[in-house]
Amino acid sequence: MIAEEPKIKNVYEREDLLTGCQAVSQAVRLADVDVIAAYPIRPYTEVMDALSKIIADGELDAEYIIADSEHSQFEIVKHASSVNARAFAGSSGTGWCYGFEALVVTATDRLPVLFLVGNRALDDPGAFGVEHNDAMAVRDMGWLLAWVTTPQEALEHVLIGYRVAEDKRVRMPMALAMDGAFLTHSQHMVKIPTREAVRQFLPPYDLGDGRLHPDNPISIAPQVNEDWVMELRRQNWDAARRARGVIKEAYGEFNAVFGERYSTPFFTEFMTDDADTVLIGLGTVCAPGRTACRRLREKGEKVGFVSLRWFRPFPTIELRESLKRFKAVGVVDRDFAHGSPDDGGILMHEVRSALYPLKNRPAITNIITGLGGRDVSIDDCIRMYEIAQKSKTDDKLDNFVTWIGVRE
Amino acid sequence: MIKRVEINYRGIFQKNLGKKIGSDIVIIASGMGRIGFSNGRYSDSPERNGIPCKYFAFVSHDLSEEELEAECGAKLDIDQCDISVVLDDTMIKGVEPWGWHGVRPINEKVQPGGTLLVVTKKSQDELLQFIAKKPYSWKLATYSGDLSFGGLWVFRDDLTHEKTLGAVAGIDPDIIGIEAVEKYLNHKTPKEPARAEAARQAYDEVRKSVRTVKPGEGVEWKHEIPVLPKWFQFMEGAAVPAVKRHFELGPKGQSRNETFKRGTTKNQRPVVRFDLCTKCTLCWLECPDQCFDQTSDGLYDIAFEYCTGCNKCAQACPVNECIVMVDELQFTDDSSPWDAYKANPQKYTEWAEEKKRKGRYIHPMVTGTGLEFVEGELVPFGGKRAGQKT
Repeated sequence: MIAEEPKIKNVYEREDLLTGCQAVSQAVRLADVDVIAAYPIRPYTEVMDALSKIIADGELDAEYIIADSEHSQFEIVKHASSVNARAFAGSSGTGWCYGFEALVVTATDRLPVLFLVGNRALDDPGAFGVEHNDAMAVRDMGWLLAWVTTPQEALEHVLIGYRVAEDKRVRMPMALAMDGAFLTHSQHMVKIPTREAVRQFLPPYDLGDGRLHPDNPISIAPQVNEDWVMELRRQNWDAARRARGVIKEAYGEFNAVFGERYSTPFFTEFMTDDADTVLIGLGTVCAPGRTACRRLREKGEKVGFVSLRWFRPFPTIELRESLKRFKAVGVVDRDFAHGSPDDGGILMHEVRSALYPLKNRPAITNIITGLGGRDVSIDDCIRMYEIAQKSKTDDKLDNFVTWIGVRE
Repeated sequence: MIKRVEINYRGIFQKNLGKKIGSDIVIIASGMGRIGFSNGRYSDSPERNGIPCKYFAFVSHDLSEEELEAECGAKLDIDQCDISVVLDDTMIKGVEPWGWHGVRPINEKVQPGGTLLVVTKKSQDELLQFIAKKPYSWKLATYSGDLSFGGLWVFRDDLTHEKTLGAVAGIDPDIIGIEAVEKYLNHKTPKEPARAEAARQAYDEVRKSVRTVKPGEGVEWKHEIPVLPKWFQFMEGAAVPAVKRHFELGPKGQSRNETFKRGTTKNQRPVVRFDLCTKCTLCWLECPDQCFDQTSDGLYDIAFEYCTGCNKCAQACPVNECIVMVDELQFTDDSSPWDAYKANPQKYTEWAEEKKRKGRYIHPMVTGTGLEFVEGELVPFGGKRAGQKT
């Protein structure tokens, strides 16, 4: 499809210094979103600030509704999406959780709204720093969920996110997660695409016969009995499974328009070619993780780093194929799952589960770090590599989970 | 190679200024083919009026953006810097942005050979009376400018922003070059050559003014840096012990929170003429930080470690010349003014008038004329007791 169209000369209109939040707001402008609902909570707030300015400056024609709470905010975009309006909202931390009822129904109603989650520690204590449990709350609800690591990636994944979410084979809401402060509020030079290039990549939103309109009489989400629910869940299950293929397609076409931006859709590997030990993590921890990796490589250590981007759908096959090449995998969790099996973090459970069918599994160890915005330093990451390397020979589960960065 | 710039600014009043400087350092460096990014110390926000905050800019010639990000990004604060910019000279008395943080020296992060860059009208010798000594040599540079205070949504366009860019270029051309600063400003506002000229002037000024501060030069730092509890030392359930209530008459008679004093928030402090006081209690009542202590004679002492310089007491005081706000750099300690008055009323009053004469604080007008020190009315000791403010 894309290949047959003429190649666009200018895919970028300009370069500007933008925070992660501002980069997302530029992408929302470029995606020509129709309805935005807003309710402030840091660190998401900067997105709504930036969007209101874009609209006031006449750069985007959209309904901008300030809700009375996150619950109403999420209900507004859900309903807007059902009448075929491309909709955007976002939140952070406990605000995200406050609207949880609306988040769950948006997934069941298969409405492809895109939400920004500026990751923030869940209260209490009231804190502002990054922790991934907020976004993770939707992981089992029929959502698309991905983490980005730079403002440029954030901008691009709003576009990729809408494309995947709105695809007829998928039609799932998308949570785009970004580390609070470290990405939402860090200013970097960002290349802003042209509208022409974006139009070529992102088709208009079309719900087809699912559109709620007097000319298309349907009823969405009626009260049902026990004889309905399981079939609907089965549909959701299938959509989430189909999403993997649609994601791959989307990256292929993104690269066709914007140049080879992404070599792999679901995760990015760094120095893994001949590695025997790797760390895997979500979000900005990849920055110190990769630098630590580079330093250890200079000393001859065979280490690598895997930055996982897509958490839902989880890239089971791809990640299994990738990780089976290594002797040891250290899973870095910026989240917690108290009382879970082996008391590890959420990401560890997912990775370990994906590796279970392998005959020769790499040794797995788990690191919990960076909670509530605690710094993760390069030295911390070097320690994580050491722990993962040790796990190759030490399989005692006593040391399975290591907390790094906690005062002890 | 990494260059780190730290920008110390006053919360809310200089929020836009601090961010604008950080952003423009990156944009200018990027125009020179360098890699950079900028961020703030996130914990500083939401800011309170006047509280010391920080913004950062990082520049490299040879690292990729990802490597630079790994070294400098995703961190709460930096470990050291090449340049620490100070946008209000009263912050050299120390900075305490949050509870359990302690009052830190302004040059804490200045690395060996690094520069503390202060916009001020004071001499460098005056500034060094307040700045902590270090075990290694570092540099102090100043450029002339008035206090540039705006508001949450207001940026005071008084050329402090341009001057600071020029001053940074003057200290370290590996961060940004002065020609690139001029080119950027002239390109952005082609009809306003005064902006690039202001940058060039500050550039020349800091190159002349920069001096090396030797190891041990400066003051002994008397504020303790708190040690935070380990995970097993906390109370369970996110509970924190509170300050035990206690009250008695006299200076510092009421119990206060030792872990967050907030005194470094002020850039001005009230000077009280106890001889003119009518004991109306309004200062004590109006003070939002409960800094006034009741004393046995009905006068009110002030706990300056807790005073944020908000000016409410001076506004509330009905007596002419009784409470006057004075530039914070006129004072070297936080000792009790009531004690000094009781020891020698005449001498205290002379001291108070001297402080008022040298440092009476006038709020800068929106015209950007800046901080002014003007002579007030001299009220003789014990005289004009019930004089009303006009």
